[in-house]
Amino acid sequence: MRTGSRCPFVYVRFRRKICARPGSGSAGIAYPLTMTDENGGIVVEGVARSFGSVQAVDDVDFMAPPGEVTALIGPNGSGKTTLLLILASLLAPDRGTVRVAGFDPVAQPGEVRRRMGWMPDTLGVWDSLTASEVLRTMGALYGLGEADRVARAEDLLGTVNLTEYAKQPARVLSRGQQQRLSLARALIHDPQVLLLDEPASGLDPGSRVELRSLLRSLAAAGKTVVVSSHVLSELDEIADRAVFVSRGRSVKSQTLDEAGSQTRRYYVRAEPMSELAAALQSYGVRFEARGDSRREEFLIQLGSTAEASWLLRTLVLGDVVVTAFAPAGGALEETYMSLDTDRR
Amino acid sequence: MSTVIEPSTPQPVRTSTSLPAWTAVRTVFSLEMKQRLRGRAWYWMLGVWFVVIGFIFVLGTAFLGTMDNEGGILFDLVVGFVLFFGLLVAPGLSANAVNGDRAGGTLAILQVTLLSPGQLLLGKWLASSVGSLAFLVLSSPFIFWALALGGVDASEALVSLLMLAVELGILCAIGVGISALADRPLFSIVSTYMVVALLSIGTLIVFGLSSALVTEERMTTTSYYDYPESAYRDDGMFDEDAELECITQTYTTPVAHTEYVAWLLAANPFVVVADAVPYSLPDEPPADALPGPYGPTGDYYSPGVMEMASQLVRAAQAGPDLDVTCEEAAAALRPLPQEVPIWPLGLGIQLALAGVLLLLGRRRLTMPARRLAKGTRIA
Repeated sequence: MRTGSRCPFVYVRFRRKICARPGSGSAGIAYPLTMTDENGGIVVEGVARSFGSVQAVDDVDFMAPPGEVTALIGPNGSGKTTLLLILASLLAPDRGTVRVAGFDPVAQPGEVRRRMGWMPDTLGVWDSLTASEVLRTMGALYGLGEADRVARAEDLLGTVNLTEYAKQPARVLSRGQQQRLSLARALIHDPQVLLLDEPASGLDPGSRVELRSLLRSLAAAGKTVVVSSHVLSELDEIADRAVFVSRGRSVKSQTLDEAGSQTRRYYVRAEPMSELAAALQSYGVRFEARGDSRREEFLIQLGSTAEASWLLRTLVLGDVVVTAFAPAGGALEETYMSLDTDRR
Repeated sequence: MSTVIEPSTPQPVRTSTSLPAWTAVRTVFSLEMKQRLRGRAWYWMLGVWFVVIGFIFVLGTAFLGTMDNEGGILFDLVVGFVLFFGLLVAPGLSANAVNGDRAGGTLAILQVTLLSPGQLLLGKWLASSVGSLAFLVLSSPFIFWALALGGVDASEALVSLLMLAVELGILCAIGVGISALADRPLFSIVSTYMVVALLSIGTLIVFGLSSALVTEERMTTTSYYDYPESAYRDDGMFDEDAELECITQTYTTPVAHTEYVAWLLAANPFVVVADAVPYSLPDEPPADALPGPYGPTGDYYSPGVMEMASQLVRAAQAGPDLDVTCEEAAAALRPLPQEVPIWPLGLGIQLALAGVLLLLGRRRLTMPARRLAKGTRIA
């Protein structure tokens, strides 16, 4: 994260509240299906799609309002990519209704396509074309004029940090660089709706931070952003809301604020651990030794952040030398694990 | 990396959800050509082709050095060879145009743009056709060389090259159509070669087999000029002063009515090209010229390969002559004039085939997809 961002990286946890447009972070906004506004975000109701005998998507409902980043979360094979293909007007659903930017991808694919940018999970690369040519070609195919195309390609190469590779054939780019080029390609026509399938895979930590801030700024500009990913800690920081998909069904939909206020696990470390164990027992707090870590830690289930701050203060005042006290995982990870989804 | 996408580039005013056809086709075409021209394989193929055709041409020149109509024969040789090689190259250049992109993950990226499936296919077809035509262009030194030797009419040369280009274009259209329909490049390339084999060899086989079906026993009359028995002297030599007389024989023999099945040859690419070319016929011999003792007199005419193909087709179209007069026998070695051109039929069949394949391919590329072939991924 560099200067110029409206929301400094260190406060990223709170950026949602600082940066989001009014009302965008609040829970439970209901968008009616009849919405035909150009910036209408995404509305999916009862969508199903099967391939032969495989029911890839069974029954998915979700909403992605404009100005927010919506995360699509689910185990491998849960139907996320199929769902994104349906949204990208590449696949017709067997049943259900879909509206992307207010239009039906089946009936009005042209209207959807010029308002929607799609970044696939596969890297499709024209080896011999330079990065700049790839973007200009895509611009031409979205009907941009010659001058617009060139300017936009240059802008976007700067945005994804590939300016120095503008004249290099795309085959010399590394996986992460190709991923960034793919993102730029999806943005070439300044779409209202952005569909990103695993955008962070293959990116180095620096690029991930940049991706994060890019997506936040797109959402702040009123775009609808849908991201599918496995990296839950990452989504924690960029997503405003999350849709959990399992076995082709949307099993839960929540905003990050809801996720943050639910019961969470914290891990606590102290010097020595025996004093901590004694203190916790005396307050009647249940704990267990953490099994999946190299360090010796206790896991505690706490109902809210207020409860957590109370416990921390109590422990410190009780002269327990607390060396670490933190949430065991991101808010989304908590939800994900609590859903008891099975990986296929 | 600037972290904010500032709306510095104003969103262009776009009211249309489709692209102007010309822009779209040109973009796809230049995308394909850039990919091809920057690859090394392409130049290797062209280099090998140049060496091979040069070798054949030089061999032909050495072999034909003493014959008349050398220019015509060499020109025909180059045309025939470019067509033959085009039959091998065009499927390779076109038959993975679409499903190769699908395998590479770039097809879906094109499909989410405003590009229509028809524009995509048209651009791909144009690029592979131009690629195939490069082989024709590369043969131009030899074509000009042959033309410089004389004996080839301008119209003959022009129509030959034009039909050659048309055939290459049709073959590419078939390849692109099949590549849009088939899921895997290997399958579509093999299928396209099968179609090419069906057209160029299959038509011959079917024609040969069906000739047997139209063969029947018929009374046939043949006449020919010969010297009478009396002209032969006792010592085996024959009388210089004897006159030729017309001898007529009648017998029953199986004859193939090839005129009923000649149309089967129409779709053959060689036939389409050869039949379309207006070969100039040699001048009629004087009416009173009688054949010499060892056969017909007058100029011997030696046609090139394509012209020979044209003659064979005309002979098949004419069918058997059940009553050969002496005049006809004397003219037997003269080229047949064209009665009914067969190439429009062949071209029609080929265009219909290419058109159907492209239309089916277009339907296949129209998204959102309702049905997907087993085991395929969109992206």
